[in-house]
Amino acid sequence: MSLAAEAFVSQIAAAEPWPENATLYQPLKEDQILLSDSASSLAVQTFLRMCGLPVLVSCRANAEYMSPSGKVPFIHVGNQVVSELGLIVQFTKAKGHSLSDGLDDVQRAEMKAYMELVNNMLLTAELYIQWCDDYTATEISRPRYSSPYSWPLNHILAYQKQWEVRRKMNAIGWSGKSLEQVYEDVSQCCQALSQRLGTQPYFFNKQPTELDALVFGHLFTILTTQLTNDELAEKVKSYTNLLSFCHRIEQAYFKEHDRESQSGSSRHSKGSLP
Amino acid sequence: MGTVHARSLDPLPMQGPELGVQADDMDLGEPEQEEKQEVLENKDVVVQHVHIDGLGRTKEDILTYEVADVFRAKNLIDVMKKSHEARQKLLRLGIFRHVEVVIDTTEGADALPNGLDVTFEVKELRRMTGSYNTMVGNNEGSMVLGLKLPNVFGRAEKLTFQFSYGTKETSYGLSFFKPQPGHFERNFSINLYKVTGQFPWSSLRETDRGVSTEFSFPIWRTNHTLKWEGVWRELGCLARTASFSVREESGHSLKNSLSNTVELAGYTGGDVSFLKEDFEIQLNKTLFWDSVLSTSLWGGMLLPLGDKPSSIADRFYLGGPTSVRGYSMYSIGPQSEGDYLGGEAFWAGGLHLYTPLPFRPGRGGFGELFRTHFFLNAGNLCNLNYGEGPRAHLSKLAECIRWSYGAGIVLRLGNIARLELNYCIPMGVQSGDRICDGVQFGAGIRFL
Repeated sequence: MSLAAEAFVSQIAAAEPWPENATLYQPLKEDQILLSDSASSLAVQTFLRMCGLPVLVSCRANAEYMSPSGKVPFIHVGNQVVSELGLIVQFTKAKGHSLSDGLDDVQRAEMKAYMELVNNMLLTAELYIQWCDDYTATEISRPRYSSPYSWPLNHILAYQKQWEVRRKMNAIGWSGKSLEQVYEDVSQCCQALSQRLGTQPYFFNKQPTELDALVFGHLFTILTTQLTNDELAEKVKSYTNLLSFCHRIEQAYFKEHDRESQSGSSRHSKGSLP
Repeated sequence: MGTVHARSLDPLPMQGPELGVQADDMDLGEPEQEEKQEVLENKDVVVQHVHIDGLGRTKEDILTYEVADVFRAKNLIDVMKKSHEARQKLLRLGIFRHVEVVIDTTEGADALPNGLDVTFEVKELRRMTGSYNTMVGNNEGSMVLGLKLPNVFGRAEKLTFQFSYGTKETSYGLSFFKPQPGHFERNFSINLYKVTGQFPWSSLRETDRGVSTEFSFPIWRTNHTLKWEGVWRELGCLARTASFSVREESGHSLKNSLSNTVELAGYTGGDVSFLKEDFEIQLNKTLFWDSVLSTSLWGGMLLPLGDKPSSIADRFYLGGPTSVRGYSMYSIGPQSEGDYLGGEAFWAGGLHLYTPLPFRPGRGGFGELFRTHFFLNAGNLCNLNYGEGPRAHLSKLAECIRWSYGAGIVLRLGNIARLELNYCIPMGVQSGDRICDGVQFGAGIRFL
């Protein structure tokens, strides 16, 4: 986040209280949304529930293009539009709701570092598996991404997205990696998270923070999404404390609401946790 | 008329077989040879040969149709008239730089005593020509660079590439045109284009990439065009402060349409579906003292088919110095936070009185291009709920009419464009409309 973006968000946000009709926009749940976007969306929803802020979820085929930064999810609060978890945390903080107030500076730095780890490792691995693995791209990613559009626009947009992600992978040096190496990286990331979590209920003290929301979003989505094979889910499952961490958060924040809540019950996923 | 040797329609002095008379010869020769005059109009002639000289890459088969009529001429005047018409037809193919006609008597073994040879001396256009123009449209200007390849394969096909950079839109396109040999009015063209436009009144940015094919053919006395168009349309917000209604319309869509004045989209594929019609009527009447009373009426309707709502890029817009004067550009009708969203139905009417400038300065010269202008404009734009009947629609269009009146000066540019400077008083302003009362300047081609 640039300084200017932070200042902008804080100034405008502070004025009004959180409205009842705040809405979160994401791609269509049944047919369109992919693993990485679903994980990001779940992370934001979990964070807002942890803060006790109500939000409606609206699915739009053009959510990605509606977003000011091109990334989903984004929230429409009052007359502001904010996308991505980092900026949304900043935005809610300006409105007076924060989960990480109780942390001291060292812990806050640590939290930021782990959030960066999840974004750089887990999210990138998800994108790699979706778009750089030919089999997954052909069977799952391209058909789902282009499902709202008619021929030939669907092919054009799907390939455009694939090339864009592959270029990004090139730029960060992941294009040389093989699928096995990517699974290894995921495993290592989960190990680091598992070690930090230890036997605690949440990553910091007994209160959840945005790091918990982010980790839950990604891990839960990985565990409940059907890909071409189960290897990714297996890597996560091998760390039992992460598994119980996900159960715990699901129980605490999602089970108490309706069955139709957004905890990943799409045809694309296998339902609730094993 | 061009260079036709045998120019005069008066009786020519006969000078033996040489009917091609130069103008200066004629002047010198006339007084002495008056006794030998023969009136040639009544003399029967037969056109034996028609030559076309100067062809390079043009294929002859398309030219035979254009000059075929010349053979049917029965007398000299007819020959001259028909060869003039043939010359026009050859020029309209767009492949010759100039065409000259030479009419001469036939010579040679099979020559008849009243036989004539008609020769068309043509000069083909260069293989590739470039052009640079500036264009003025409705309150926008643009610079156009063009590259044209006329007569690419020899049968009057034309390949054009055009790049246009303007205040509102930037576009480039490639176009291929082919007429049917012998029937130039029946032709088809294929276009590929990309247009990027910015519309600040809606905070909207639109990029269209499209392909279209057009068939033109005359039916009885009218000319019809049938056009199929496929456009990949991408909408986006122009600024971070765009209203949420405009933000909701961002994204990609595919429009697939057939049109023939009426546009029907969606039945040949794509995800945008509607039926769109619009019309323009204008009536002018000259009154006393060179003043002209003009009335015009515009209207249009967009009917979405299926259950998808209409897209912001297909709706009609109203207002501005070229439509209802006194209002800002396209700033009438439904809006959201200052961004104008357009409407599905509109009507607009204007009543104008044009008079020459008072005291007629510069009569016959530059001053003739100016007129003073008194106007009354009215119009309305709204979205329709198609579940209600036409009576509800008409009453909706009839309530809250925006109108304006005023006076100003009009300058005519060429035969096409107009500049106007008006003092406008807008009335019937509804909340949400943006007005431009007082002095308003407009430049364009199509005015209400």
